[in-house]
Amino acid sequence: MHSKQILLVEDNPDDVMFTLRAFKQSNLVNEIVVAVDGEQALKILLPESAQRTVQPALVLLDLKLPKIDGLEVLRRIRADPRTESLPVVVLTTSSEEADIVRSYQLGANSFVRKPVVFSEFLHATSVLGSYWLLLNQAAP
Amino acid sequence: MTTEPVVGNPARPTGPPEFPVGPSELQALIDNTNAVIYMRDLDGRYMVVNHEYERLFHMRREEMIGLTDYDLFSTEIADEFRANDLRAVSSGGPVNVEEEAPGADGPHTYITVKFPLLDSAGKAYAVCGISTDITARKRTEEQVRRLNAELEQRVQELEASTRELDAFAYSVSHDLRAPLRSVHGFSQILLEDYDGKLDDDGRQCLQRIQSNVTRMGQLIDDLLRLSHVTRTGLKRELVDIGAQAHEIFDELRRAEPGRRVETVIADALVTTGDRLLIRLALENLLANAWKFTGKNDQAAICVGAVGPSDSQVFFVRDNGAGFDMRYAEKLFNPFQRLHPVSEFEGTGIGLAIVQRILSRHGGRIWAESEPGKGCTFFFTLTDIPDPRDGHA
Repeated sequence: MHSKQILLVEDNPDDVMFTLRAFKQSNLVNEIVVAVDGEQALKILLPESAQRTVQPALVLLDLKLPKIDGLEVLRRIRADPRTESLPVVVLTTSSEEADIVRSYQLGANSFVRKPVVFSEFLHATSVLGSYWLLLNQAAP
Repeated sequence: MTTEPVVGNPARPTGPPEFPVGPSELQALIDNTNAVIYMRDLDGRYMVVNHEYERLFHMRREEMIGLTDYDLFSTEIADEFRANDLRAVSSGGPVNVEEEAPGADGPHTYITVKFPLLDSAGKAYAVCGISTDITARKRTEEQVRRLNAELEQRVQELEASTRELDAFAYSVSHDLRAPLRSVHGFSQILLEDYDGKLDDDGRQCLQRIQSNVTRMGQLIDDLLRLSHVTRTGLKRELVDIGAQAHEIFDELRRAEPGRRVETVIADALVTTGDRLLIRLALENLLANAWKFTGKNDQAAICVGAVGPSDSQVFFVRDNGAGFDMRYAEKLFNPFQRLHPVSEFEGTGIGLAIVQRILSRHGGRIWAESEPGKGCTFFFTLTDIPDPRDGHA
């Protein structure tokens, strides 16, 4: 069986590196596709014409992104029938109440704040990966 | 009460006055008021004016009789006065109007009652007016309006700066934490991937970098919590401080089941305020007391109140480490600590949060202590006089 893909929407290259490392250390072998801004994420998820080449089982979405911010990406994901029930986990530095409320209003499945301490970051990634890719039953 | 007869107060005459009341008496009567009084015929010609009228418009009554308002004021003003006169005539009784007339220091506003004089057939033959100058009141009202507008302006400025503060807090949260994560993460990579190339000193340096980064992360979070306390809305509801203290002590016991701490909570500790904020203040105070009694085998914490119920002073007393009263004022500054981190953990934000919560309620906090003899934090949730002022 083809292992499930993850779309990581993240503009900070350090965070991209830590996330990849954390997944590897958690023995999650899923392919991780990286989008470095909101525009790229939408191009991957909602291409205007052709068939989608990337069909992720999970989106890890940062909020503060260049060009199109994370909340807008989330809104468009939910507005399109192709991705309306795709699991989206907001993974961000902010714990601003307004961001949390808005994310859930727009249909985020989960909101996780990136911890400063690497071991906690590793733990969070590992829990997220095993829950959303192994345990959770996604919409068909 | 005195029973002696009052001297020099002759008995009041009981019959009718011994002199007739004629035009000059009535003129004297209306001349001695600061209201403006006048009578005009149906064509608007002055028949009677009082002294105040003469004084205000610098004319003698002999000159005025027979003139109309069109001789004295601008057409616009005279038209308005005339219209009001005619309203009184057509209504057949008194009407109240607000009128404006020029004065020495600009326009004056009068509240005027106008009424027609009726003959035996009920037909009006003259109009009387009594005008009271309300300019001072008007100007005060205008000033109040202006001050309110200014206040509104200030509120808007304040709201704008609060929004700015919000944006700042957000940016602090995001922009400062991200590099910290990188420093911590790369230190971790060095520790894991380059373990063979590092000696013990090198590893220890990296660990110290990490612990400092962790601490800075806590400080940023604390700063954000402090700003949140300042920005969040304030509710006024009945709050049972005693019940909250019970819950908090239960939580502290669960977190450290090994500790033996005697806790005493007085009865009926009830106040009015924001339940969540008061809970947060109490959590900080009790956690402090819990922490600073950590080295005492017979630790005891007491929560109580003194004073009448409408101006209660609550207190949290412990027999812990205490502090030097010379530094008492510094206690409530953010990130101020009076003990080394090696002795007692913490970032020093707790009491700053408590103070903000209490001051947002209009209350206060202060402490009394001696090193090694525990300390007592007194706090109020309303603006009541500082009991210390009495002893000062």
